Amino acid sequence: MGEVAYISKSTAVSSKTVQLGKLYSLSVLDRLMENHHIRMVYYFRSSAGMVAGDLIRKLKESITEMLVCYPVVTGRLVRNDEGKWMVKSNDAGVRISEARAKGSVESWLQKVDREKELLLVYWESMLHKPYFWSTFYVQLTIFEEGGLAVGLSCSHLLSDPISASTFIRAWAEIALNGNILLPPFFHPLPPRRLPINRAQEKPNTHFINGYKSIIEGLNPVQAHNVKTLTLLFTDQIAQSCMGLAQPNTNMGPSPSPFQALAGLFWVCISRVRGERNGLMGLSICEDARKLIGLDKGFFGNCMVYNKVDGAGVEPNSISQAATAVGEAMVRMNYEGIMGLIEWLESSNGQSPPPSMDGDDLICINLEDSDLYSAPFDECLEPLHVSCYVEPVVGRGKVLVLPSPLGEGPMGRVVMVTLPEDEVVKLCEDDLIKRIFSPIILMRA
Amino acid sequence: MSFMTTRNSPSNSTKYLKQCYKYAVNHTIAVFLLPIAISIIIQALRLGPEELLKLWRSLHFDPAHVLSISFLVILVANIYYMSRPRKVYLIDYACYLPPACYRTPYSTTLEHAKLVLKNEKVIDFQMRILERSGLGEETCLPPAVHYIPPNPTLDDGYAEAQTTIFATMDSLLKKTGLRPKDIDILVVNCSIFCPTPSLSAMIVNKYKLRSNIKSFNLGGMGCSASLISIDLARDLLQANPNSNAVVVSLEVITPNLYMGNERSMLVPNCLFRMGGAAILLSNRSQERKRAKYSLLHVVRTHKGADDRAFNCVRQVQDPEGIVGVSLSKDLMAVAGDALKTNITTIGPLVLPPSEQLLFALSFIGRKFINPKWKAYVPDFKEAFEHFCIHAGGRAVIDEMQKSLNLTAEQVEASRMTLHRFGNTSSSCLWYELSYIESKGRMKEGDRVWQIGVGSGFKCNSAVWKCMKTIKTPIDDAWATCIHRYPVHIPDVLNL
Repeated sequence: MGEVAYISKSTAVSSKTVQLGKLYSLSVLDRLMENHHIRMVYYFRSSAGMVAGDLIRKLKESITEMLVCYPVVTGRLVRNDEGKWMVKSNDAGVRISEARAKGSVESWLQKVDREKELLLVYWESMLHKPYFWSTFYVQLTIFEEGGLAVGLSCSHLLSDPISASTFIRAWAEIALNGNILLPPFFHPLPPRRLPINRAQEKPNTHFINGYKSIIEGLNPVQAHNVKTLTLLFTDQIAQSCMGLAQPNTNMGPSPSPFQALAGLFWVCISRVRGERNGLMGLSICEDARKLIGLDKGFFGNCMVYNKVDGAGVEPNSISQAATAVGEAMVRMNYEGIMGLIEWLESSNGQSPPPSMDGDDLICINLEDSDLYSAPFDECLEPLHVSCYVEPVVGRGKVLVLPSPLGEGPMGRVVMVTLPEDEVVKLCEDDLIKRIFSPIILMRA
Repeated sequence: MSFMTTRNSPSNSTKYLKQCYKYAVNHTIAVFLLPIAISIIIQALRLGPEELLKLWRSLHFDPAHVLSISFLVILVANIYYMSRPRKVYLIDYACYLPPACYRTPYSTTLEHAKLVLKNEKVIDFQMRILERSGLGEETCLPPAVHYIPPNPTLDDGYAEAQTTIFATMDSLLKKTGLRPKDIDILVVNCSIFCPTPSLSAMIVNKYKLRSNIKSFNLGGMGCSASLISIDLARDLLQANPNSNAVVVSLEVITPNLYMGNERSMLVPNCLFRMGGAAILLSNRSQERKRAKYSLLHVVRTHKGADDRAFNCVRQVQDPEGIVGVSLSKDLMAVAGDALKTNITTIGPLVLPPSEQLLFALSFIGRKFINPKWKAYVPDFKEAFEHFCIHAGGRAVIDEMQKSLNLTAEQVEASRMTLHRFGNTSSSCLWYELSYIESKGRMKEGDRVWQIGVGSGFKCNSAVWKCMKTIKTPIDDAWATCIHRYPVHIPDVLNL
């Protein structure tokens, strides 16, 4: 099986000097994520005539152009007077490393597991001197028999998975076309549009309560030896899952694939864990950009954790589980999120929790992110994208990602990270193995 | 003498006196002949036309005499023209623009130093040098130096040489329309990196040059080697009629990176950056129309006979066995000395008679009358419109500016080259020339003085005359950034 040999590590800088010394403050949502990081791997098949050296050079030249638009990424973390993190724009750049892997990208994908996949995306935790620590890390791995993997790891302080994917997309656009269609913008979260009329509206404290329990809760137990399972739900399988999630179509609009899959995995993982008193706790994590009036170009953290009310849901009922998830999704409204942000801002001075995972199974909705449309070069064809939000503590994580092009609009890739024994049991679960039998892309 | 001591505070009357003196000495012949010519004309007018005709007839010109005298005149004229040295034209040149991904901002330099080096004192020393260096944020280093940790190999050196040379040659061939098969002479200079086969052989291989090409590779000759190459090319063009010569000047940084702790050897790390230039020279008369410059003089000064000068820039092994280039503390003094010797030689070739007379008088006075007299520094602004001083470092430019009594505008090209490209070793002079052209300052008839200094210790000068006014914009290394220059360079950067 392929091994990964590291060739070199250096720093990619922007092609032009940015405004030196400018300080960017981080929002309350950013600061909560300090102890997490994101790792993404993009796999590409390459055409026969591609020369590895030329491709690497092209990628390095295009990232230089792209970084001009990302002064926050090329800057470094500093603490302000209150001890809170800020980013100082100092032009230092982004770490970039090069590696070689044996075999071809296709053969790699057939035999990869979590441990090996993470070799394609290097991550180093914050150095003793954070001013010399790069918050973003890019790894370019050339497969000796054909193919390329682009790995991105970044601190969750500066970016959520949506922004990380737009970072890669911007790079791919510059490499392919020479310009970025949706340049990023960096500014604080917008203030409330209209003043609150507290007498009239009932405040939505749902989010505040959820976050309060995570921040003030006990340190979650570190999950030992986690494994990740990647499953491909083709268009057909996903639709049948959605059908099961809402057997009676008169009950309202049909569920989204995320809603159905979240329900499915909630039920299956609870079963695998042997939960006796109903389903385990579940929190979904969704992008709030549109709701608070920001477009996808907003760079930073804007995904909100939303606890799902599992009371009264039968342990084996996917439709009830999906309905509960749907109700939680509806509860995510402007008022709730603005209330959360204002509460976080008012309770200043709190240090971030060791993990935002809390005690629940976390289900992250990335199904709307655009991962496959920009391939860096005409000789590359996007094959697969993996995403990890690390570290996984608590009960586990489920990420719902879009599927590669050609798998249909409802197709989804689901990455499930659980303790080792639970993953093994999950593969044997009836619903997963026999009824839906999604394609296993990566074994645990 | 009054006109020497009033140099610093000229009053109007002194200035006027100086102008008269200059005019009188520089146009001595005219000044003498004018009264004689006037008196002859007056005499001729007095005689009247019939008298003049009688005078003419009385001279008894024999047709044979007339013919033989005219043959003699033609013969002498022929010998004179044939024995004159061939004119050497600079058709055009190209400077290397490194890709933006090789840019080395200060913060990245500091960060890499912190990650790679263990010795805090070494890091601090290098950053202090950098703060005062006069380099900007856009200078470039080759990829092997960017690695954490740097591990430069021979292949990396080759790769850097190829990147620099091929990009610059391609640019030159495109600008001049020169076909590789038409290159008769090739001179390459690169001081530290001297592989086998040579860099000139590498060019012959890449561009498929002719098998009877006269190729030369100058190694180890330091930062002033570009003008040595020009001198060699000129001599070859004298020996070979109807020829084209390409001169390629560069330095390869990769093998030069010093990873030790000796302070005298760390300075080059802070100053040297990627760069290169390729120049096309020709002695073909048909190139005269499109040539940018013609070469007037090359003056070479070698102070190597003096031990102090010989040892002031040396490649050595430090106590830990790491190889690097050591700069001695005497460097500025030696450079100043070499410059003075060079000026003494070039002065008579370029200065107008008025300045030469003053310098000679000052020299004689200091030698025979009173050694304490202040040495007269000839005003080279009388001889040249533009100056290209080797951008070896801020101290070098300061020292030369002081020695030659130049204004800030006259050293602007050097300072801005140091800021934008760093010390690119022998090719600095070409970036500076390109700066002057890009600013639209180069007019027909302007004379340029290029001064290169480098290990040996050598000080070499070249004098060029501009053949046609150069119109902007110019497609060269400065094209994307010239609009931002000149910039103010603080004495000490706040890092």
